[in-house]
Amino acid sequence: MPLTKIAPVVAIAAASLGLSGCATKQFVREQVGVVNARVDTLEQRLNANETATRQAQSEAQAAGTAAQGANQRIDQLNARVDGLEQRMMKPKRARN
Amino acid sequence: MLFLALALAGTSPPEPDDGQATAPPRSPAVEQVSAWIAASGDNHGHAYLIVDKPKARIYLFDRDGTPLRDAPVLIGRAIGDEATPAIGRKSLAEIGPAEKTTPAGRFLARFGRAVGQPVLWVDYADSVALHTIPPHNKEHRLQRMLSPQIDDNRITFGCINVPQDFYRSGVKPMFGKDGGYVYVLPDVKPLETVFPMLALQRAPASKEELAASPR
Repeated sequence: MPLTKIAPVVAIAAASLGLSGCATKQFVREQVGVVNARVDTLEQRLNANETATRQAQSEAQAAGTAAQGANQRIDQLNARVDGLEQRMMKPKRARN
Repeated sequence: MLFLALALAGTSPPEPDDGQATAPPRSPAVEQVSAWIAASGDNHGHAYLIVDKPKARIYLFDRDGTPLRDAPVLIGRAIGDEATPAIGRKSLAEIGPAEKTTPAGRFLARFGRAVGQPVLWVDYADSVALHTIPPHNKEHRLQRMLSPQIDDNRITFGCINVPQDFYRSGVKPMFGKDGGYVYVLPDVKPLETVFPMLALQRAPASKEELAASPR
């Protein structure tokens, strides 16, 4: 085929490829934008969850400390009651 | 076989030492509970004991959580973690087979009087004490303690029997003045049910864990 006949075909093909290339870039930009927005939303949610979790953990730790203090008081009271009972009653038989 | 050999020989076996030479490694449950106690200060400055019922072994720690020694133990014949209500008021003859449990939990233990001998009262209300093997027992308790098997260590009415040396040189000096804590690990119940504070000892969740968790 003579070169003069091939040239327009090549030009048209090149132009169409160039146009489709622009369309692909645009499409990718749009898609990346959508994904970015989703990532931002998820990151915000994650941060909010993390804050809530840390707060819950902190509150649980505080409750645990309070429970530990209460446990200690109960231990002391139990020991007193047991001590009194031992003084007042006859020696008890252990379960061997 | 060991019982038969000892009976035929007519000799009483030596009291077991702490068994340090052949001591099995500590179970994950003992590691978990001891780490929690040391980190949280749950022992409030007292020495403490951890009784590993499934392994029939006892571990002594000082007030700072340093492990001092360990030994085999005899525990309640029945598997279970609860004490029958009012069992402390029953005589030994009235205690049924299923009631012969060593209750699991955390106890502030002190030395005190008991019929026959002074003991370390673990759970006074339920009559659970820690002491040496009662003399003239019919259950070959010493041989049971000496044997490498674990199942035969379940023989008491609920009390915890320890070797004499462990009691005299370990428990007495460490618990003598102000007592201490005894943590009895469960047979059946989950560890965190018996020791709820264990759950708080977990490390805070990482960002990766949070990201992986369902929303």
